Amino acid sequence: MGMKGISLVLILLGSNLVSGGSFDRNCVPCHRHEKVSLRKTFMNALLVYSGEKNMKAGLRYFLKHPSRDTSVMGDEFFRTHSIKRPSELSDAELDEALDEYWERYKVIGNLE
Amino acid sequence: MLRSERSSLRRFLLLYWLLTLSLLVLAFTVYYRSQERIMLLEQKARMVDYASEQIKRLARLHRYFPELRTYPRDSRFRSAIYDLEYRQIFSTMQSNDVDFRKDIYRRDGVIHYVKILDKYYLGAKYLFIETPDNLHWYRQMMWKLGIAGVMAILLLALVGLYLARLFTRPMRRSIELLDRFIKDTTHELNTPLSTILTNVEGIDASSLDDRQRRKLERIEVAARTVSSLYDDLKFVTLEGKRPAREEEFDFAPLLRERLEYFEGMMRAKGIRLESSIRSAPIHADRRLLARVVDNLLSNAIKYNRRGGTIRVRLLPGKLRIEDTGRGISKVALSEIFERYSRFDESEGGFGLGLDIVRRIVDRYGFDLKIDSEEGKGTWVVLRWGNEVKGK
Repeated sequence: MGMKGISLVLILLGSNLVSGGSFDRNCVPCHRHEKVSLRKTFMNALLVYSGEKNMKAGLRYFLKHPSRDTSVMGDEFFRTHSIKRPSELSDAELDEALDEYWERYKVIGNLE
Repeated sequence: MLRSERSSLRRFLLLYWLLTLSLLVLAFTVYYRSQERIMLLEQKARMVDYASEQIKRLARLHRYFPELRTYPRDSRFRSAIYDLEYRQIFSTMQSNDVDFRKDIYRRDGVIHYVKILDKYYLGAKYLFIETPDNLHWYRQMMWKLGIAGVMAILLLALVGLYLARLFTRPMRRSIELLDRFIKDTTHELNTPLSTILTNVEGIDASSLDDRQRRKLERIEVAARTVSSLYDDLKFVTLEGKRPAREEEFDFAPLLRERLEYFEGMMRAKGIRLESSIRSAPIHADRRLLARVVDNLLSNAIKYNRRGGTIRVRLLPGKLRIEDTGRGISKVALSEIFERYSRFDESEGGFGLGLDIVRRIVDRYGFDLKIDSEEGKGTWVVLRWGNEVKGK
């Protein structure tokens, strides 16, 4: 694989970011930038919310009205990170992002 | 034991049995539940420890997921985790028919213990621990219940019989008193009755004028009525002490003879007789069969209207006697075979007739059916032999 192969991977990654779902467009870049693991966040949310509907509802509320009290991250996290700004996404986009988040990191169906 | 006494006894015993059996079932159910509870409490202590161990394993898996994906297993138990919305996350259990409302229960041969997690590792709110139910406690309990049940039933049966006898004693006493009275009366009736009949039969009716002949006939009818009653009373009081003389014979001559015997009574009441008698072999005691016929004919005459008709038809295996009397109501029909019961209090008698008929009919396995329509009349059909089998 030479320069051609590398170019192809970059093109595919780029196109994925542009043409990906709401989650890839609105959540992944920021988390990547802030170096906050989406997996870690998901597992923390699971510890608090347990069920799919409950978790999505809880996260939706947090994203719209972020605060330390409603965050699933511990106090340790806020020593290095500040609280995020309220989401400006529409309800439809937010729901789509949360659906994708659940599907990508869920535990159900991934245990052996 | 009389039918009425037997029926009272049966009703009492039925009620007593229903009540005591209900109480027994209730007591056994309570005992069963308490034994089950004790067993589950014993199991629970062990299963709580299993749950603690499993929670630690789940916490570890939660931390290292998805690098670690294998759900923790243990040879001593099976388990399952469910989220807050009752959705199964993973299960190794044999029975997934789970109950979230109880903390421990038995189902499909297994025991489930439910632990609600403080921290929802892997999203699990409910952890189910499953162990097999070896049913040892159940077999032991059933054995104890079986022995206790048999003993209780025997004891209750004895108590029931004692109580039943205690309750029916007043009825029995009054019936015995009546029986004794009838027996004594019967004994005293025999001699004067024989004297009247012998003398009446000894009078040459042709030497008398019409008026006197009618008077004689009336005396004869009255004497025969008393004689028939005497026969019934004798049957009731002495039946069982006299050996039965059973034989095969033709019913027809006996029936003709009995019709002739009642001829005077029918004439006195202006009743017309229509008879069709064919030869009909029967196996019975002649005297007992005569009691049956006499009682049926006597009733047909007694309860017929003046100037009515009696139709008698004898065929092989079947006798039908029909009257044109006032008939019997449905309620009265259902009690017609009770001893001392008379469906028309205006007529004389002790109400023994059909009780006697029933006893004789039952003795020979004959079939007796009585139908009636008020205002139209009553139909009695006696069947025997192949007629009963083929009915």
